[in-house]
Amino acid sequence: MILLIQYTLIFASVLTLVALGGCFSEHSGVINLGLEGTMVMGALGGALTLKALTGAPYIVIVLAAILVSALSGLLYTVLLGVASIHFKADQTLVGTAMNILATAAATVMVKAINMAENPDNVSATIQYVNSKRALIVRIGNFEFNWFMLVAVIALICSYVLLYKTRFGLRLMACGENPQAADSVGINVFKMRWAGVLISGILGGIGGIVYITAGVSEWKFETGVAGFGFLALAVMIFGQWKPTNIGLAALLFGFFRALSNVYSGFPFLAALKIPGTIYNMMPYIISLIVLAFTSKNSRAPKAEGIPYDKSTR
Amino acid sequence: MKTQKESIFKNAGFQSILAAILCIVIGLFIGFLVLLAINPAGAGEAIVTIMRNFLNYPTRPAQMKYLGNTLVKTAPLLMCALSINFCYKVGLFNIGAAGQYVAGAGACLYAALALELPWYICLLCAMVAGGIFGTIVGFLKAYANVNEVIAGIMLNWIGLYLVNMLLAGVKEQASPYTFNLSSTNTAAILPTLGLEKFFSNNKYVTIAVPLSILIAIVLYIILTKTKFGYELQATGFNKDAAKYAGMNEKRNMILTLMIGGALAGTGAAFLYLTGFEQWQTTASSVPSMGFNGIAATFLGGLHPIGTIFASYFIQHITSGGAYLDKAIYPSQISELISAIIIYLCGFVLFFKFAMNKRVDAAQERRKAAAENAAAKGGESK
Amino acid sequence: MDETYAIEMLHITKRFPGIIANDDVTIQLKRGEIHALLGENGAGKSTLMSVLFGLYQAEEGTIRKDGKEVKINNPNDANDLGIGMVHQHFKLVQCFTVLDNIMLGVETVKGGLLEKNEARKKVMALSEKYGLMVDPDAKIEDITVGMQQRTEILKMLYRDNEILIFDEPTAVLTPQEIEELMQIMRNLSAEGKSILFISHKLNEIMEVADRCSVLRRGKYIGTVDIKDTNKAELSRMMVGRDVQLVVDKQDAKPKETVLKVENMTVASKVHKNNAVKNVSLEVRAGEIVCIAGIDGNGQTEFVYGLTGLEPLVSGKITLEGQDITHASIRSRSKEMSHIPEDRHKHGLVLDYSLEYNMVLQRYFEPEFVSGAGFLKKKNIRDYATRLIDEYDVRSGQGPITIARSMSGGNQQKAIIARELDKQHKLLVAVQPTRGLDVGAIENIHAQLIKQRDEGAAVLLVSLELEEVMNVSDRILVMYEGEIVGELDPRTTTAEELGLYMAGAKKTDRKEVHA
Repeated sequence: MILLIQYTLIFASVLTLVALGGCFSEHSGVINLGLEGTMVMGALGGALTLKALTGAPYIVIVLAAILVSALSGLLYTVLLGVASIHFKADQTLVGTAMNILATAAATVMVKAINMAENPDNVSATIQYVNSKRALIVRIGNFEFNWFMLVAVIALICSYVLLYKTRFGLRLMACGENPQAADSVGINVFKMRWAGVLISGILGGIGGIVYITAGVSEWKFETGVAGFGFLALAVMIFGQWKPTNIGLAALLFGFFRALSNVYSGFPFLAALKIPGTIYNMMPYIISLIVLAFTSKNSRAPKAEGIPYDKSTR
Repeated sequence: MKTQKESIFKNAGFQSILAAILCIVIGLFIGFLVLLAINPAGAGEAIVTIMRNFLNYPTRPAQMKYLGNTLVKTAPLLMCALSINFCYKVGLFNIGAAGQYVAGAGACLYAALALELPWYICLLCAMVAGGIFGTIVGFLKAYANVNEVIAGIMLNWIGLYLVNMLLAGVKEQASPYTFNLSSTNTAAILPTLGLEKFFSNNKYVTIAVPLSILIAIVLYIILTKTKFGYELQATGFNKDAAKYAGMNEKRNMILTLMIGGALAGTGAAFLYLTGFEQWQTTASSVPSMGFNGIAATFLGGLHPIGTIFASYFIQHITSGGAYLDKAIYPSQISELISAIIIYLCGFVLFFKFAMNKRVDAAQERRKAAAENAAAKGGESK
Repeated sequence: MDETYAIEMLHITKRFPGIIANDDVTIQLKRGEIHALLGENGAGKSTLMSVLFGLYQAEEGTIRKDGKEVKINNPNDANDLGIGMVHQHFKLVQCFTVLDNIMLGVETVKGGLLEKNEARKKVMALSEKYGLMVDPDAKIEDITVGMQQRTEILKMLYRDNEILIFDEPTAVLTPQEIEELMQIMRNLSAEGKSILFISHKLNEIMEVADRCSVLRRGKYIGTVDIKDTNKAELSRMMVGRDVQLVVDKQDAKPKETVLKVENMTVASKVHKNNAVKNVSLEVRAGEIVCIAGIDGNGQTEFVYGLTGLEPLVSGKITLEGQDITHASIRSRSKEMSHIPEDRHKHGLVLDYSLEYNMVLQRYFEPEFVSGAGFLKKKNIRDYATRLIDEYDVRSGQGPITIARSMSGGNQQKAIIARELDKQHKLLVAVQPTRGLDVGAIENIHAQLIKQRDEGAAVLLVSLELEEVMNVSDRILVMYEGEIVGELDPRTTTAEELGLYMAGAKKTDRKEVHA
């Protein structure tokens, strides 16, 4: 039972972080379909840091991992920013390209690094067994992960930032009606960059949280197994509002956790429902919810539409 | 009709080809840089290796055989690309092609391995399964206003898990892969009609290859020459005007996604019913075929015929990656290159826009100069 | 240096590829005056204001503020100089509150967080001072258009702007709201604000402005004092010739009933009430019936219901004796032509060629498509060429021109050609002259009357009083989704019509016509 709670919380943390990232990007008016790829890049940066810092003080490891993965994610979303903000590229296309690119690039990089260290190692796996201990505090049987705290902080900060500050007001104006924002002297391009880069930071951190959630090595050929897309579902399910996103993340995290640990529960195991069903549940739920809520969706009105100064 | 001499740079077809070539060149160049970074000594040779693909073999029969292999994988890619292309013409981004492809794979393999049906029924199953997945997206879009991209993504994952579950019953004991077609049900293998003879008896080269090209041509004709195509593109350009003109825009939308789904589903059958590959029932990510289809579509200038060449090119370099020396370079370099090419395709619209603007400006200048000259001539009289 | 002027735009020239939008235009705005800028659509008013607001840079000419030359490179510069603008399409964020919209861009911040109390106080004080009643905590999407406009005005006042530009502010308002706006403008000028009022409506200019500058086809025509001029002179300046204010036509000779609408009710997309309530009317062959009213009183929804674009909540429609209440759009269009209100939304597929647009309502007929479903491209080309010649539709490359690249007037001509040439017993024309210049308007009016004389039933929906009075044979006034009166244009006056449109007057119509 504790295991279930623990997994639910850690998966919910991942989803919260990444969905908040998507939320910032969309509130600024740019759809970040490349969250999956952003996570991969964050995971890569974080994993390399963990590996490199083996033996360092725990606090250094935790902070460095967060910092580097955030930075990796941020740098990666520059690709999205350039294409969608300045070159009016199709955001769906660019997002998709970013997802494919991230997995391919991460695999190539990890393989190259591994081969450089040991010519016989042609795998795309990074191990971080030792450093992973830094992330965890045992409270009885419960493994508290520092990243859970990070997610909660991110949630609170996002709420304050979006609804209580000048930045949030301006950001949302750019996602709702960029012409209006422009007419009162707000630089729409700048705000959209801010939204996109914040999504990179949060997506990147989400990536390292995800790959350290259960295991102590990661095979980069598999990417992040659709978690970026799941986060997108969380964001929509949460109607682009931080508080709702937190709740949606808990629900989806719970299903994800069930698929990992259901065999530990006699009554669930007895049902003989394959684990894949639990994997599928979040997607099915969000599809059903979408079907009922999309008629009056609260999605930012101008999202996905490149801002063109001449159309004001 | 007065024919004003238009600059060739303003010709849409020419622009598309130019843009595609530019994307390819830049993509390859970045790939080359990555190779350089990993190991400078062999980088030049490596990039040539990727581009040579089957030509890396010394003898002609071997070359033909491996050209065959590339073609075998081009056919499904082309089908996915056509699916996306067709839907895009109607204003829908069918990112769900990946999931429709998965559904098709699941259906045809289940029909072939569990039900032991002949190939044409299996093919039909794939088509129907993909079509159903597409139709779900269409219904959600038409009647519940669900964005087709989001619905498509959700269905990609639902499809993946469903198919993993479905095919778990027909997998080999020792591995996560499904049974081999040739040992289980040879009747389910697509006929070759003697095509294998051209490819050094590569038995995987089946009717799938010519069929996929034929389908591309048929789609082109439907879109440009028929009433159905007229309606579909009108709906894609302006849904409200289509409704005003009495077209059933909801039906057209659903129909389009159904056809798109069927195309992607058929694409899966074109691969899995050759026996070239088996399905891995523990797959944790959606096969990239559907996403690569996006690359081929955009690289092909959103034109069905252009898509044929673009699909071949993407597959050519992807297959080419396998010939790299694995002790030095990871084969994923070719995926990296195609991902960069997709990314660059995002800039194509801007590129065309900029080119048109330049040509217009040049014409404007010439016109102004001519008028000036004429005005001066008038004054002097 | 003459310091009586708050802002001066001197010898402004602005070119776009192919056209000169402003050709040596000079406007001088006195401090505290209401200065009207008059001109037809496309005369260059909006371009000039965009130059003043920093959205465009002029090639030639200077701008002076209080006698000193200034450069305005973007809206921020304009704002710094105290120039504010109420745009024709409001620049408001729908899901924000009034207060958030007013603050946006000039927020007050305390300790990193937004500080709204002071802002709220300032807004309340301003709205009191100028008589601008709005609830600062209401969301924009929940308030009326008039209140949204007041929010825009408050936005300018909150920024302490001294020069206020109003771009066609009355187009979206009801007569009462227009009256209120006029009063607000007077209050503002009394407090020393200088106002530029862009309009093409002579009545409003005569009522509120002190002086008026006129533009025609990008050229500056002149500036006149309102007290020394009259409507006829202004319209002559605007159009460049005497405008034929009365349309030449014979009395109608109505025959059999073509369209009968009984108790039609249509739901609204904007609010929860019905947009059209229990409307009944008849249109007979050989007459032009006009539905008059202020924009947004259910006319659009009525037409949607009639043409099948929206389903009815209840009611019955009969066309040529056939019940078409539940008929498809396609089957209705057999006997009904429809010139839609919004030519870009409904009327054209902008990315299709002109010839493809010409057959938009007929492409499925055997003339244009073979039994196997293939388009007969030659027939389409011939047909389009004929229509282009007959209706004088001008375009760059003839039938293969992409519709998007054509001018608004020619786009409208193409739609009219398509709809008039198509077989029909009933012609539904919704604001067919919107955004066109006087010449084109006269031409379209003549076409409508020709249709009537050839025996078609014509249902015209119009917002322009003049058009309503001049073209129609019978007027039905629509107010808040109901027909509130039936008038005869030969006996009624514009004033009476105005009272009906404003909902101030109402007559019961027992039965429409025998």
